[in-house]
Amino acid sequence: MDTNQDSRDYRADNESMPERQASYRRLFRRFILYTMVCSVVPILLVGWAIKINYTNFSIDRMTRSFMSQIDHHRKVIQMFINECRSKLLLIAATHKMEDLVAGGKLGEVFEMINRDHMSITDLGVIDDQGNHLNYVGPYDLIDSNYSQALWFKEVMAEGIYISDMFMGFRQEPHFIVAVTRTEEGRKWILRATIDTDFFRSLVENVKIGRTGEVYLVNRDGIFQTSPRFNGKIMGKAIFEVPPRQPGVSIRVAPAVVSDGNQKIPSKIVCQTWLDEPNWMLMVQQDYKEAFDDVNHANKAALIFLYLSAAAILIVTILITRHMIAIIRRRDLEMDQLNRQLLQAGKMASIGELSAGVAHEINNPLAIVLTERQILLDAFQGRLDDDELEEQFLDSMNQIDIQVQRCKRITHNLLRFARRTESVIEPVDVNAFLQEVAELMEREARANGIAFVTDLDEDIPFINSDPSQLQQVFLNLITNAIDAQNQKMDGMIKITTRAEPGEKGLWLTIADTGSGISPENLSKIFDPFFTTKPVGKGTGLGLSICYSIIKRLGGKISVTSEVGQGTEFVIFLPEELPEGASGGVAEAETAHNFQ
Amino acid sequence: MKLAKVLFVDDETRYAENMAKLLGNRGYRVVTANSGDQALQRLEEEDFDIIVLDLKMPGLDGIATLKEINERELLTETLILTGHGSIDTALEATKIGAFDYLTKPCEVQDLVDKIEEAWNKKSEVEQAERNEKIKKIIESPSAVFSMMKKPGSKKE
Repeated sequence: MDTNQDSRDYRADNESMPERQASYRRLFRRFILYTMVCSVVPILLVGWAIKINYTNFSIDRMTRSFMSQIDHHRKVIQMFINECRSKLLLIAATHKMEDLVAGGKLGEVFEMINRDHMSITDLGVIDDQGNHLNYVGPYDLIDSNYSQALWFKEVMAEGIYISDMFMGFRQEPHFIVAVTRTEEGRKWILRATIDTDFFRSLVENVKIGRTGEVYLVNRDGIFQTSPRFNGKIMGKAIFEVPPRQPGVSIRVAPAVVSDGNQKIPSKIVCQTWLDEPNWMLMVQQDYKEAFDDVNHANKAALIFLYLSAAAILIVTILITRHMIAIIRRRDLEMDQLNRQLLQAGKMASIGELSAGVAHEINNPLAIVLTERQILLDAFQGRLDDDELEEQFLDSMNQIDIQVQRCKRITHNLLRFARRTESVIEPVDVNAFLQEVAELMEREARANGIAFVTDLDEDIPFINSDPSQLQQVFLNLITNAIDAQNQKMDGMIKITTRAEPGEKGLWLTIADTGSGISPENLSKIFDPFFTTKPVGKGTGLGLSICYSIIKRLGGKISVTSEVGQGTEFVIFLPEELPEGASGGVAEAETAHNFQ
Repeated sequence: MKLAKVLFVDDETRYAENMAKLLGNRGYRVVTANSGDQALQRLEEEDFDIIVLDLKMPGLDGIATLKEINERELLTETLILTGHGSIDTALEATKIGAFDYLTKPCEVQDLVDKIEEAWNKKSEVEQAERNEKIKKIIESPSAVFSMMKKPGSKKE
């Protein structure tokens, strides 16, 4: 109605909508941030603490396990070597050299030593010149002279000697234990070769996991047993052997690349020295495998944490989105209510204005009528000329007709004005529609639109709020006129009908305008939805219509075809639903004036 | 036949004058007043059978004037003339003693008809009051004196 007012409203919306969108987004982000901080951070902290604790515990356990293993192995190996030495010492102490050299005595002793298990490969008696006096074993060594051998010199000097692994005459890795006995001023030597297979099986058969290995290395870095990976017995280790130190040490060796471009991963290395010989026992395992369980548990915990965080995030987003949607809906509802109040206020002031205008016009009209009557009283039947008399009466008649027309207009205006205040009263919808159509007729005609009414005389009076109905009809008819798009042969058809058995009436307002596309059709009752050009519409008209009809207990629906026109169908109940606004007492008195 | 004496009250001077002329043409004696105060002044000066009263007037409006008239307890009938929008007020006026109302602008003939109706009613009331008085005089002649004092028909 008032385009200036409308365009102002529209601009206000244009400014506030993006701002409000931004504030919703801010609210959304802030809410999610707070929730995440309050819920995910503690979980992560707890998870982190548990992980650290568990890792420490695991490392501790692993270390202990390594140390106890290496200790165990050391004892086993040491015991075996000590046992061999003790046996030789015992034999040397209890037998004379000539007994062992002559006859089969050495063979008997050899068999006795090896009765339980084959721990000694051969046994020999050597004199102080290095000559092999007697020998029991698989090799033909009887003629060998050891006077130049390192071990011979050592044992002659020390009395007891345990060698490192060496190849010797037999060209096979082996080590020997030798003891001396001084008999009648002459030293002789009892020498035993330890069964290499048996000894190596003691060490090499120990398997720890997939990557664990146990081996012996002498102080020069020569493998005394074959390690499981990266080396062979008698081979040289790629690492420096540390100086001898008591006890057990454990460390993590970093990953290295060997000469053969072979990657050796980071390992846990545990080492200890045997008492005798001077060998180092090593137990080592890939770090990764050793801590596989820990890593596994950590990974599981991490996945669990991630999943929890993700779940919390998803739930938070869903809840927040839902809440924002509720807030947005509330805001829209409030906006709409405000608009409605504004609209109602506008209608009220228009009402007041029209009432004033109508009143002011009524007085001159009343005077015009009296003037006419005075003229009639004075001249009717007193004019000599018949033609003049006829002309006079015609003019008088026209004055009356035009005054009556003005009167009708002012009456309509006054009725319109009166309907700006909300009262519930019986409404004759047919008469009411006629009036509204009459009010809008001029504007419609200016747009080349004809009003066609098809009103069912049998529709009931309904108890409703005329001011709100008026707003609905005005909005719909204004829309219908606007939809015509300056086409000069438009038509707006208003139909009423009553279906038998229904407590209410059906009302149709159809236009032959441009129609509404299907994708817009579902949105036309949404607030702020408009297809009118910027500044022409607030997008509130139909939304207000919708909420008014709902409040009055009715239904409104729309069908449309692009290019053909649009049809609004409204159902209005005979009685308002419970709790609808308006005073019944007022309605009673108001009825009497109709 | 003697016709009613009418006081026509309307702030539109020309309207009141025209109405006076038109009603005069139809044989009524009409006096005009342009405000409530003026109307009350006229009523002090002479008696009227019918008062035609516009509701919307500056100063003392129709309803207030009607209340003043009621207080004077005159033997007269009041017709209310009103714009379409103030029918509520017109109805209120009929509740506090106006005979009926007409909406402006109205046909002279409609007004004449209403004036006749009001005049008939006024005559009936007059007759009834007279009968009552006679009855009272017959029943207790001593009441005559007090009756004479009572401002039943007119005020000094």
